[in-house]
Amino acid sequence: MLVVQIKPEEEILPKISSKRLFIFECLGCQEVYFPTEDVEKFIDNLKEEIVGKASLDYLCNREFVKEYIERYSKQIKKAQILLVFSCGVGVQIVSSLLEDKIVYTCCDTLYLNGFQGLTVQEFNCDQCGECYLNYTGGICPIAQCPKHLLNGPCGGSQNGKCEVDPDIPCVWQQIVDRLAKLGRLDKLEELVTPRNWSVSLISEPPVKRFP
Amino acid sequence: MKTKSNLERVLEAEQFAVTGELGPPQSADPEVIRRKAKILKGNVDAFNVTDGQTAVVRMASWAACLIGKEEGLDPIVQMTCRDRNRIALQMDVLGIAALGINNMLCLTGDHQKFGNHPMAKGVYDVDSIQLVKMVKDMRDEKKFQCGDEMAVEPRLFIGAAANPFADPFEFRVVRLAKKVAAGADFIQTQIIYNVDKFAEWMKMVRDRGLHERVKILAGVAPIKSVGVAQYMKTRVPGMDVPDSIIARLQGVPKEQVSKEGIQLCIDIINQVREIEGVAGIHLMAIEWEEAVPEIVESAGLLPRPKFTP
Amino acid sequence: MSLIDYTKFRLKPAEEVRGTFKQINRIFILSCAKCYKIFEEENEEEYTHLLDILGEDHKKIVGHAMIDFLCNNFLSEKRILNLDLSNCDSVGVISCGLGVQFVAKLLEGKPVYTLADSVQQSGNSTTEIGYHGISLEEEKCAGCSQCYLNLTGGICPITNCAKGLLNGPCGGATDGKCEVNSSFDCAWVKIHERLKKRGEKFTLESVQIRDYSRPSLKLKSDLSLQNQTLRGEGFYGGLHPLEKKGKTADKKIESFPEPKIAVIFLSQHAGRRAEPSVRLGDKVKVGQKIGEADGFISSPIHSSISGKVISIEERIHPAFQRKDLAIIIENDGGNKFDPLIQPYKDFENLPKETLLEIIRERGIVGLGGAMFPTHVKLSPPKKIDTLIVNGCECEPYLNGDNRIMIQHPKEIFVGIRIIQGILGVERVFVAVEDNKLEAITTLNKFLDKSSSVEIVSLKTKYPQGAEKVLIKRILDREVPSKGLPLDVGVVVSNVGTVFAIYQAVVEGIPLFQRVITVSGENLARPGNYWVKIGTPFKDIIEYCFDKKGGGFLEEYELKMGGPIMGISQTSLDSSVIKGTTGFIVLRKPPVKVSEERDCIKCGRCVEVCPMQLYPLYYSLYGRKGEPGKAIKYNVEDCMECRCCESVCSSKISLLSFIKQEKEYACSSNKA
Repeated sequence: MLVVQIKPEEEILPKISSKRLFIFECLGCQEVYFPTEDVEKFIDNLKEEIVGKASLDYLCNREFVKEYIERYSKQIKKAQILLVFSCGVGVQIVSSLLEDKIVYTCCDTLYLNGFQGLTVQEFNCDQCGECYLNYTGGICPIAQCPKHLLNGPCGGSQNGKCEVDPDIPCVWQQIVDRLAKLGRLDKLEELVTPRNWSVSLISEPPVKRFP
Repeated sequence: MKTKSNLERVLEAEQFAVTGELGPPQSADPEVIRRKAKILKGNVDAFNVTDGQTAVVRMASWAACLIGKEEGLDPIVQMTCRDRNRIALQMDVLGIAALGINNMLCLTGDHQKFGNHPMAKGVYDVDSIQLVKMVKDMRDEKKFQCGDEMAVEPRLFIGAAANPFADPFEFRVVRLAKKVAAGADFIQTQIIYNVDKFAEWMKMVRDRGLHERVKILAGVAPIKSVGVAQYMKTRVPGMDVPDSIIARLQGVPKEQVSKEGIQLCIDIINQVREIEGVAGIHLMAIEWEEAVPEIVESAGLLPRPKFTP
Repeated sequence: MSLIDYTKFRLKPAEEVRGTFKQINRIFILSCAKCYKIFEEENEEEYTHLLDILGEDHKKIVGHAMIDFLCNNFLSEKRILNLDLSNCDSVGVISCGLGVQFVAKLLEGKPVYTLADSVQQSGNSTTEIGYHGISLEEEKCAGCSQCYLNLTGGICPITNCAKGLLNGPCGGATDGKCEVNSSFDCAWVKIHERLKKRGEKFTLESVQIRDYSRPSLKLKSDLSLQNQTLRGEGFYGGLHPLEKKGKTADKKIESFPEPKIAVIFLSQHAGRRAEPSVRLGDKVKVGQKIGEADGFISSPIHSSISGKVISIEERIHPAFQRKDLAIIIENDGGNKFDPLIQPYKDFENLPKETLLEIIRERGIVGLGGAMFPTHVKLSPPKKIDTLIVNGCECEPYLNGDNRIMIQHPKEIFVGIRIIQGILGVERVFVAVEDNKLEAITTLNKFLDKSSSVEIVSLKTKYPQGAEKVLIKRILDREVPSKGLPLDVGVVVSNVGTVFAIYQAVVEGIPLFQRVITVSGENLARPGNYWVKIGTPFKDIIEYCFDKKGGGFLEEYELKMGGPIMGISQTSLDSSVIKGTTGFIVLRKPPVKVSEERDCIKCGRCVEVCPMQLYPLYYSLYGRKGEPGKAIKYNVEDCMECRCCESVCSSKISLLSFIKQEKEYACSSNKA
């Protein structure tokens, strides 16, 4: 799930100084996280002239954006810079539909674990293309280990916590616990061969990943 | 003998081995290495050069090893998986073997967030166990990880690390078994201050017969000050420093702490020597290499065995 | 415009699947119905493919279930735990990594196997994941948390450059195609062209170097926790629309000016329409009965002004949005009250039958919007043990119930006692959303602590005020499918109705006026008003709105009720009825997005439905013209809260499909 934060002022303000602006604001993922108050404050504090504002759900939907661009074509023409408040997908779509306008994003986008829909989750899937979950009892080390180890844990696992952040659990500790519960700890004695990072380039991943 | 490694010879001869460690400088100055190597010479059978320890940029391990080799010692190159992918790792293995270095320690690597470049990308293309197997296959099968063959293989004595103090505790021995199965010849453990826990771990090791398949060198280190002890306790991932150790150092006057820290190390050496299955020690007197001769001597580990070439 | 199929998994290679099956004996298969692809039909391709691969081993499969959005933990858990997994010794899952991890955790005691691999959908990157947003477009975002789009003309170098380069192309592009994967354009060639088009110079400000420590794990986990808490508050599903109550929350209820002409509809309640009991030319007084209830489930109608009946004719009914009978009365300005309106002395000792008769005679119906005749609701055929007074008022803008609780707490508690007497009920909860602090404080101040009435403050989330949601939240009881609150021993009554009961019994006043909130955009006099039943909407526009003149309904949307569930009005000649909770005026959106969009299985409708339904199926079968196929998806439980329609990423008018389905279900039930 992609969510946004407003970029630091010093990154944006110099770029838009004294320019006529048109604003695109995406409301689609408001229920997940959208810094509405910050955005409103940011816009209110702008000294530049704002010739128009389009607020719509789903700036990531090309058809919707097209219809709004048509509706506001006059104002968009007048604007020198189009300012977008949305995730990276929305910005790219607006940019691709208005190729000869200068489009700037006011936001940095990060992602939260889980399904792309509405409710963020504790699990994540990193689309590795060669699922290891049979080996780890259903807990994913690629998504949850900062070193994405396949023969973990590393030596930094302490008290079930990860060396990178003491607030996050060591996923390999969880894997060991889960397999112990299932009486299948012997699964971890097999050496897992190095990962195939090129899955996206080939049509079928190799079958033999375990000796 | 699989290699020309001095360490291998000592271990094959069933002598209690001593390896040392040398932290390379955060600069391009070779003199630092020479100076430290000279101190270690004669006091150790081989010495490690750390590789980007705690993700801080220092001179590359292989380069410092070469300098140490020129001083007449048998170096152990350390390589982490954090900074290089399998291509670079194998290239470096060929390179260090060509330079006449005989030993290599394979590590996963401390996460980049601990060091002075926390924004760097961590590679972790392979992990330490896969790296051990990779080097073993290069040496014994003369094959690269992809399966291609090579004309002249790197003959390296392969080491891996073990941390008896990390969690999950019971699982650490299984992971050790994996490293042995992957082809590790020797193991160096994390620094031991909690001897009881180490003894517990060694029992599990012996129960699996691993001590007969791989040579285990117990990690030991003197402590210079209470501050250093605290740092190790709280900021170094995977270290177990019992409160009794801190208390022991706090119990002596300030000017005597370093002496006490050396005595502490000697005591631990003597204790671990008694544990069945321990084939030697790995003495990590980081930034305090001057303490090594005193420690080795007081622990009765001199002279070091010499072999005719 | 070709949309991409973002199916996130595919069956593992045949050899690996067969290898897995060698290790098991009896396996139950769960497969996910997939997401983020055009929803054209229900199908089970992966499972069919699995059977093809297995050959003889397919006999090891003891059962199979297809689950929509397997990673929707809450709903999937319910469905999975309802399956009979007793005669399998392992479970196989066909889904992306999310589904497998979830099932493995849920069924911790049983071995869970994955039979699928995830599909990498990263664009032109082999190491970064590109996320596609709530759409099936090509553009993806890697969530790097340090957006470079301002430097690259709006083309992302991380998802589009195989090496994720930030400082221009490598030397490998041939004919504008990427050296790594020639089916992709070289991102930097595209960036260069785009910048040229924009007249921007192709010089990056400084040598860009990426900070891989962002986004920090702490920020991610904080935001994640925040979201999970927010979404999970109180009940499954629901939304947090902007409340917009500030405009009128503090406005004391004022009397709205009497209408010169009152248009009083004869159907202002569920059940049979009232029969007119006056004729053309009759003079009527305030509170005089002008329509007689027709049967038990019906309600009488009273005049709200004194004057003369000038017509009995059809007008556009504000709730039905079609013509229906109304009595038109011309105001004589005298405000004369019907002499039959007298307070009841000694109401405390009236028997329950008399109280019910008073409530019926005075025309009291549910004022929350449903207009169910109150005397019927308070004569339930089953035993009731709890009364819930609904003061949630969960729609944006509305403040009528809020103000009644603030201004008339004593009367509310008297009304509660009357209902307690009728139902023979001890336990009472007054439910108020926590965005009404003043109301909660006021009620607590006047609460008799020794009584068995409890004020309950609930986390604000739409539609907390829906009665089934309320009952689950407060009492943890589930009203059975197609059932009513009385089936679980509960009566839910709107707080405005409770006040009306007080007025009817204690003051003898029939229902001829009610509190409505007038709010929205461009209003000169937003507020909360006592409005006479029958006041034409155009009177309200004239009094409260800024702009006069024609063309009002072209520019503005007028909703009777709240902005979400309210009914859009097509005629300003419609008038206030007993169920009018609000009068909301909103500018029409600048763009009415064109219809007929495909469902892309984003799963958001499923995540917000408080009744835990699967609205995407109503649109699937509605579109295909196959009503009835969606009946197995329990459309009769839908309370039409419109949460699904509000979040639909394709802007499908889900409610119209739902209504179609309900009609079909209704007519097939009768058949």
